[in-house]
Amino acid sequence: MGFTNRMIGRRAFGAAAAGAALAGALPRGAAAQAGFPTRNFRVVIPTGQGGGADRLARSFDDGWSKLLGGRQFEYEFYPGAAGQVGYELFVNRRDPDAYNLLFGNMGPEMIMYALQRPRFKFPEDLSYFCRIDIDDSAIFVKPDSPLRRVEDVVAEAKKRPLNVAVSRIPHPASIGMLALGEAQGARFNLIPYGGGSPTMVAVMSGEADVGALPVSGLTAQAGRLKVLSVFARENVVARLTENAPTVNAVFGTRIPDLYSSRSWAIHTKAIERYPDRFKLLEETAAKVFDDAAFKAALERAGQPMETVKFGDRALCTEYAMAMIELANRYRPQLSAQR
Amino acid sequence: MELDLATLADLFGRSFSLWWAIIPGIALGLAVGVLPGFSPQNTLIILLPVTLAMDVEAALAFMISLYCANHLSGGIPAILVNIPGSAGAAATCLDGYQMTKNGQAQQALVLSFVASVAGGLITSFAVLAILPYLAQLGLILRSVEMVVIILFGLTLIAVLAAKDMLKGLIGGAFGLMLGAIGTDQVYSTPRATFGFLELYDGLPLVPVLIGLFAVSECLVMLEEKFGTASVPTKAQRPQWADTLDGLRMCVRYWWQIVWTAFLGLAIGVIPGAGAYIASFVAYQQSRLYSKTPEKYGTGFPPGVLAPESANNGVTSGTLVPTMAIGIPGGSTAAVMMIVLQYQGITLGPRLFQDSPNIAYGVFVMMTVAYIMMIPLILPMARYASKVVAVPVQVIVPLILGLTVIGAFADREYIFDMALALGFGVIGYIAVKTNYHVTSILIGVLLGPIFERYLLRSLRIGQGDIMVLFSSPIANVLWVLLVISVVVPIWRERRLARRAVA
Repeated sequence: MGFTNRMIGRRAFGAAAAGAALAGALPRGAAAQAGFPTRNFRVVIPTGQGGGADRLARSFDDGWSKLLGGRQFEYEFYPGAAGQVGYELFVNRRDPDAYNLLFGNMGPEMIMYALQRPRFKFPEDLSYFCRIDIDDSAIFVKPDSPLRRVEDVVAEAKKRPLNVAVSRIPHPASIGMLALGEAQGARFNLIPYGGGSPTMVAVMSGEADVGALPVSGLTAQAGRLKVLSVFARENVVARLTENAPTVNAVFGTRIPDLYSSRSWAIHTKAIERYPDRFKLLEETAAKVFDDAAFKAALERAGQPMETVKFGDRALCTEYAMAMIELANRYRPQLSAQR
Repeated sequence: MELDLATLADLFGRSFSLWWAIIPGIALGLAVGVLPGFSPQNTLIILLPVTLAMDVEAALAFMISLYCANHLSGGIPAILVNIPGSAGAAATCLDGYQMTKNGQAQQALVLSFVASVAGGLITSFAVLAILPYLAQLGLILRSVEMVVIILFGLTLIAVLAAKDMLKGLIGGAFGLMLGAIGTDQVYSTPRATFGFLELYDGLPLVPVLIGLFAVSECLVMLEEKFGTASVPTKAQRPQWADTLDGLRMCVRYWWQIVWTAFLGLAIGVIPGAGAYIASFVAYQQSRLYSKTPEKYGTGFPPGVLAPESANNGVTSGTLVPTMAIGIPGGSTAAVMMIVLQYQGITLGPRLFQDSPNIAYGVFVMMTVAYIMMIPLILPMARYASKVVAVPVQVIVPLILGLTVIGAFADREYIFDMALALGFGVIGYIAVKTNYHVTSILIGVLLGPIFERYLLRSLRIGQGDIMVLFSSPIANVLWVLLVISVVVPIWRERRLARRAVA
């Protein structure tokens, strides 16, 4: 870093600090413009700070903010009870005014909804309206694992129960492993690690034989983790995963596509009360996908572009309902309530 | 990339030139650390618009200085008013506050500052020297080993209970029971939450910490001032001689600083292991290997040095997995990762080839931040110790106001303010009936993570409890654990026999 940069950085730092202080000191309505939105948005994220949802939401919000009169997005993180805390808090304690939004991972969190029966109803209380990605669940091992192919994993799991590191028990990747075990007569012992990062560490360290997680995070660990197979009709990140085959192609099974899918959500009441506001949010969110800055931010965050796929409210609802149905089918294996 | 001397010198030069980002970071970190409830990760999240706009090296320097200073200053209120600024400083209360009561507040602050800075410096240098090997440590210490490491911390309950075993164990068991509140670690089934959403995550650490220490201490202060049971703190007139006396103590017990710093580093490298595990384990181990264990808890300098050095050793350790394998070692490191990724920097092994100025620079910046803290904080010991002389009618409302806001600030639940007050009453009753509040806190802090690692280990062992003895490293740790439990009992019996003789 040269002298010039330092000077610019120092000035920028001073200006930014002063700006932040001023923004805090000004009354919220001071910079208000007519119409919606007149203030910043408040976003509940039902997972921890620094996680995949946090990074993806921040990559998205720069572009969206430009289309919403420069209004910013302020995040709060409530990761407890597999996301239940964040969802209940959003539905029951945040005003349904279209300024309060939620950014969640529909797959695992709708499974949580089905299994834990939180105090809200889907889709009556909450609606997803802008899907950002489709992140297929994948089976992975460490590079020097004796399990070189997914066939080896299944063969070994027929001899002894294999320890599988997963992020949470209520997760599409966990369902994938259970479905594969059921179809092939293999036994998988799921071990929840409470997040993608510790799950990857468990496999790297050899504590677990195999791992199952969404594939996009694994592509960033190429060389330290090896993807063996994906639970999808095609492997869209084949170039980043050494052409790992799909589970169905290898075993001839008919396991449904099992993926995580991050999406923006809003109170259903807000849609009913403020249809104009919702329309603006829906339309502007869809436009962000054409923003070059969004694509650049995704690249910086290490999100493969192949996984980015817009989905509207109808698609999101359809997917969420399918996840609830799937979770109910595997309830005995996924829940403590046998 | 190999780290040669020329590169290292260049990195130091660049880091010193970032003084304009480091000094505000230190100032903010010190301020935030003193206030219970204001964590470094939340502060960094609030400041993300600023750090994302900054040059990446400047942003890193700012965040790292804030983080390190925060770990350092948590010990200040622990020493002066028996209120840890963060969970990592809870063990500092044990001897730090006793030193204040003995009229040695200034010395205790100097011990805390020197241990923190030295612990941070030693471990930063160590990381620079052996970073690739340290990254492997996080992969070697697995769930089974963590079970034993946390048990080291839990045995501190027994140590604290030495004076009154029954009350000590009741306090610890009460804490462990409280620690079991929340959803279970495997299926997220709620336990003892009574339907309160605020308890689904378990008992929140900040309100519990604030209640047990801050609120209860305020009640005790009020009672001492206006009631009958008065045991006033000895007044100390601030003078430079006391600062020098503190420095002399640091030199005398320098070895305590060194080895507990390495202990903190090793624990910090394990993703998810917090500073409070390191500080409790360091305190317990320091006492175990001391020739005068009976002095711990009475205002003994190593009782301040060990936890403070260890919890600052954690700061370097936490960043090792973040930089080396791209996996954050803690929540503050996770926020730093957002900034780095926003700037297009991919963390992991390639970072050392692609951006060595960042990969190694982080630890050089940390070293520079600790060096810059020395002239800033040492004189502070003299003036900060004056807090003890502030009249009760001023300090109590101030502490209560700040800490109750702190209880709210962490999660923004009104419930947490009430919880802090409730735990204040529990803490007050514990103090008045000679139960050790630290025993309760250890149960609340370590209970949930002990359960997490134990359940995980048992699932890995597929129900076979022998999995806990399946690893050579864990078995060595088990032996050390047994020794650390048996030796104090044997030693006390021997002393008792001598006393009788």
